[in-house]
Amino acid sequence: MADKPKIEFNHLIGEKLPHFRSLSGIEYQRIYGRKDWDKVLPDAAEYPFTRGIHRDMYRGRLWTRRQQSGFGSPEESNELLKYLLKIGQTGINIDSDIGTKLGLDPDYPLAQGDVGLQGTSMCTYEDMVTLFSDIPLDRISSTLIFPPPSSSVLMGQYLLMAKERGIPWENLIGTIMNCPFTQLVGPTFQANTAFFPIDLALKIGLDLIEFLIPRAPKWNILNVNSRNIRESGVDAVQEAAFVLALGTDYIDRLCKRGVNVDSIARRIGFFSAVHLDLFEEVAKFRAMRRIWARTLKERFGAKDEKSMWFRVAVQTSSLTLTAQEPMNNIVRAAIQTLAAILGGVQSVHTTSYDEAYCLPTEATQKLAIRTQQIIAYETGVTKSVDPLGGSYLVEKLTDELEDRIWELIKVIEQQGGFIECFKEGWVEKELNQARYKLAEQIETAELPVVGLNLFRDEGGAAEIDIFKQAPDMQAKRIEYVKNYRKNRNQEPVRQALKNLYNRVRKEPHKDLVIPILEAVEARATLQEICDVMREASDFSIPQ
Amino acid sequence: MSRKRRIIMAKMGLDSHDNALRIVSKWLADGGYEVIYAGVYNSVERVLRMTIEESADALGLSFLGGEHLHYVQKLMRLLREEGLEKVKVFVGGIIPPNDVVTMKEIGVDAVFTPGTKRAEILSTIDKSMGIPEETNES
Repeated sequence: MADKPKIEFNHLIGEKLPHFRSLSGIEYQRIYGRKDWDKVLPDAAEYPFTRGIHRDMYRGRLWTRRQQSGFGSPEESNELLKYLLKIGQTGINIDSDIGTKLGLDPDYPLAQGDVGLQGTSMCTYEDMVTLFSDIPLDRISSTLIFPPPSSSVLMGQYLLMAKERGIPWENLIGTIMNCPFTQLVGPTFQANTAFFPIDLALKIGLDLIEFLIPRAPKWNILNVNSRNIRESGVDAVQEAAFVLALGTDYIDRLCKRGVNVDSIARRIGFFSAVHLDLFEEVAKFRAMRRIWARTLKERFGAKDEKSMWFRVAVQTSSLTLTAQEPMNNIVRAAIQTLAAILGGVQSVHTTSYDEAYCLPTEATQKLAIRTQQIIAYETGVTKSVDPLGGSYLVEKLTDELEDRIWELIKVIEQQGGFIECFKEGWVEKELNQARYKLAEQIETAELPVVGLNLFRDEGGAAEIDIFKQAPDMQAKRIEYVKNYRKNRNQEPVRQALKNLYNRVRKEPHKDLVIPILEAVEARATLQEICDVMREASDFSIPQ
Repeated sequence: MSRKRRIIMAKMGLDSHDNALRIVSKWLADGGYEVIYAGVYNSVERVLRMTIEESADALGLSFLGGEHLHYVQKLMRLLREEGLEKVKVFVGGIIPPNDVVTMKEIGVDAVFTPGTKRAEILSTIDKSMGIPEETNES
């Protein structure tokens, strides 16, 4: 077989790396010097923001520690959120289960087996209230991980909750992810198109953005997820090019709706991956800041500098984690977290080391937060802005990545932009090629993974605590939503759903957010709302 | 060999993490199997129907989010009820160690957890399907 590691261990020649290429295939030079980079860098907070979007960066304020969380019922997740805040998490990042993301209630037959597994199960207004009980909506920022159409329904529930608590919408702080192309395991075609018409999902996302801009001015209206893009196996150049092209598509579509670019761009953010090639990742974030700034300024004519900021939250890669010797993942996640900080990101989720086995336990979540706190408070890397700036290697790599990313963006734009490339299957093809290549690289140890294809120890199984869900959680949620639908005032629900159906069916170009909010207020469930829109579009879903 | 062995590759339920499903499907196709790629979002009933309609010799199922026992238990029961015990069942993905044991107890032929090499997956499946080992390996 051809899968013998190419790395040789021989005391005569010493231990040597198999090659000197970066993860995206850039050849690292033996040494970098003035001949490779001889420019002057603008200060941080100065266009094009290579060194960071804020003048003081972490001196002014540390990044937000924002671990994605959510499992089981809203009650259980509320407890978890409070625990995380107690041990030092500074922002909330609520993930729902897949059914919720797809606009399905827990009792839908194909949804039942996944209820509450990868996030919180949510479907009613009361679920939202339970999830956020005791959490001050105007003092802690919350990221809600929902793509359209669910984003409009759950955002509607969130807004209604604020109203009933007496918190003005203009004081709400947080983010709705709101991207229908990247929230379900990256931009794979089947995953993102099977449960809702993709064009209608996109329209609802844009409607929601237009609705929120004037009403919730501190709320972030869109977060484009390049982490999920990266985790499907592509490299740093593809990750950056895909997501920046997609971001450009959004701005373009919103501008065509007549929205002023400066009113939206500063409220769009990104969610990115951090991999293990430390310098390449640092260079990636610096290059992405430049490209986004230039796009906003030159292409869209943004005037406000905040519109040009590439604001990015990150989560360290799960793809780099191994089931073999899982403790090694603690080291990987720490290095990736460091790379993110050296790259000047705004918020971080450090992935727990047990991800190759189960959802994180409380103990592993705590360790992830501690990892960030150690980097923040003990290492000193936060005490100066862009500490790697001016390094010949990092600057040269930033230039090189920027060139490559621009080139790929051009390829995408020549085919009509990212959304078009997604719909035409080009993205799917790129992803699959990348996956096959990555698998091959791991098989041949061209991509060395310690404990997996190098220094593998075939000893006993890993000792690891496994996260366990409450055994009756799914049954309870299924029962709950069935009773909920039975025991409410039916007439307002029927009327609101009828109005929504008619709007989608007969006036498809008009705003959909307000009729959706009315259905939320009438206590329609998530799937009821999504189902009438599906029906009105003659769209059927997997059984 | 009379015909290529036919294997259906699928994810069941709502999890759509399909990196491994894509990669292992390609490995199997390259390794001489006829792969029927059922993709994501399958119900147990759909997989069962396909097994019958396509006269599949084996099923390859991939899981990530903790939903594996829910689906595999039901599948094994329905396969038995349909008299399809001969169909081999292979499971891959994020499966905690105790559940690997449970799966084998209920009749799953092999479970491949993260980091399993291509050669091991192929030789295990070949063996299980009664395909003789290649003799001229280089």
